[in-house]
Amino acid sequence: MGNAALRDIAVLEEVPFEDLAGSVVAVDAHNWLYRYLTTTVKWTSSGKYTTAEGTEVANLIGIVQGLPKFFEHDITPVMVFDGGPSDLKTDEIESRREQRRTYEEQLETAREEGDEVAIAQLESRTQRLTETIQTTSRELLSLLDVPVVEAPAEGEAQAAHIVRRGDADYVGSEDYDALLFGAPRTLRQLTSKGDPELMDLEATLEKHGLTLEQLIDAAILIGTDFNPGVSGIGPKTAISAITEHGDLWSVLEARGETVEYGDRVRQLFRDPNVTDDYEFETTLDPDLEAARSFVVDEWGVDADEVARGFERIEGSVVQTGLDRWS
Amino acid sequence: MFKAIVSAETLSSTLDSVSVLVDECKIHLEEDGLQIRAVDPANVGMVDLSLEAAAFESYEADGGLIGVDLSRLEDIAGMAESGQLVQLELDEETRKLHIQIDGLEYTLALIDPDSIRQEPDIPDLDLPAEVILEGKDINRSVKAADMVSDHIALGVDDADEFFYVNAEGDTDDVHLELTPDDLIDLQVGSAHSLFSLDYLKDMNKAIPTDTEVTLELGEEFPIKMHFGFAEGQGQVTYMLAPRIQSD
Repeated sequence: MGNAALRDIAVLEEVPFEDLAGSVVAVDAHNWLYRYLTTTVKWTSSGKYTTAEGTEVANLIGIVQGLPKFFEHDITPVMVFDGGPSDLKTDEIESRREQRRTYEEQLETAREEGDEVAIAQLESRTQRLTETIQTTSRELLSLLDVPVVEAPAEGEAQAAHIVRRGDADYVGSEDYDALLFGAPRTLRQLTSKGDPELMDLEATLEKHGLTLEQLIDAAILIGTDFNPGVSGIGPKTAISAITEHGDLWSVLEARGETVEYGDRVRQLFRDPNVTDDYEFETTLDPDLEAARSFVVDEWGVDADEVARGFERIEGSVVQTGLDRWS
Repeated sequence: MFKAIVSAETLSSTLDSVSVLVDECKIHLEEDGLQIRAVDPANVGMVDLSLEAAAFESYEADGGLIGVDLSRLEDIAGMAESGQLVQLELDEETRKLHIQIDGLEYTLALIDPDSIRQEPDIPDLDLPAEVILEGKDINRSVKAADMVSDHIALGVDDADEFFYVNAEGDTDDVHLELTPDDLIDLQVGSAHSLFSLDYLKDMNKAIPTDTEVTLELGEEFPIKMHFGFAEGQGQVTYMLAPRIQSD
């Protein structure tokens, strides 16, 4: 999930939740859900988080526990999912299944061919979120009227794209890679206690006197989700090397090193597969009754487990839009 | 065609009333005066402004439409000293606005109106309560509420007949009651709605303290705030959507 070494490069600043009131956050949904699956809900440890048939429901609990944080602070989350079909219509679920199969086949091929970039890229999209989690998460979010955007590939890249186009104020992700996808402002620690952390691209570039392209090159030297990096090069060395030599290739040449698939990793960050074809409303009208029934009645989650979360969603006050009255 | 002379104060009041919500706006140059309507990007606050031709020293227009960068135009109007007149003339050919203030000439590039956010439809609201009060009472309420909270509740007690302001913070609370004696007028109706202070603070900046302001309120409904400027020859209506419980 991104290279933590980028933390030493990124310009970060804590922001009080109050200052974020009224803002729209394009959340890397995969990243956000995964936090809840691993930290908040310890789904591996207990039968509580699977149904009698063994189907995972931890994601539903995670969503009900995680969303109040946004609502209570008057922040509109837009959940951006990794590559899949455009919305939740039932006939399209089949095509998502199809897509997943395609990914898995591609992954197989990539493994056979030893294509490490493709392996890393596909793994990040297929792992962890099972078919059921993919489907039920979207369904619950739709009942709660939380906007969902389907990214053509990396959710994080699409979230960055949405913010760059001015349709959201922040990217929400724990991943420092958001910087490399060109996210102007990223909020980290949206799932933790306390105030979030703001990661600012412009300030980061300014601080090191780098362009975004150079920052990407520096990150490739350190290592990203898609390549292991050059051994012995940490954040400091990477930046001074890029500053001295200008770009990735010159640094590698000077040091007599190579980065396999360097150009492809670079391309992945510089020109990610994103789309302008998305639409969402930022004033929400959640159907709590239906959402509760979906989680408790349909998926058999213990009502107590989600009672507090639903109470918090119910009690949170949200800003309406004037369009509601016209 | 558009050619007008207006006092710097009137021009500034006009622009300030709109710039609290948006950075750019369309201005309709009607024969009988100016019309501006705009909504903020989040679709929460709206302004509907008209300035009659009579508010100008001289005014000639034939129904054109221009797009302006409000802060630019405000800066220019700010160059005028109190009591000075500002002369405006639209060059249809170059789509620029020529502005003259006591010999100072400024040519302002206009914005393509089509590139500006669409003008909103005005919600048709039938609000049960109406409160008429002085601008300074709104100012006082907003200031006090802002000390303790991010939002403010405005309401009318229809049994005991008073208008009230409530703000609840984490530790401190603010409460204000204005009876018909404190108000210019009160039409009692059941009303209680919660509003974001961020918006109200900005709108309050544009409301003159010595002006009569009409508030229209309902139960979890948008508020309408109406006031005049430029000696009543200009009219502003603000509308602000409430914050409500999400169920």
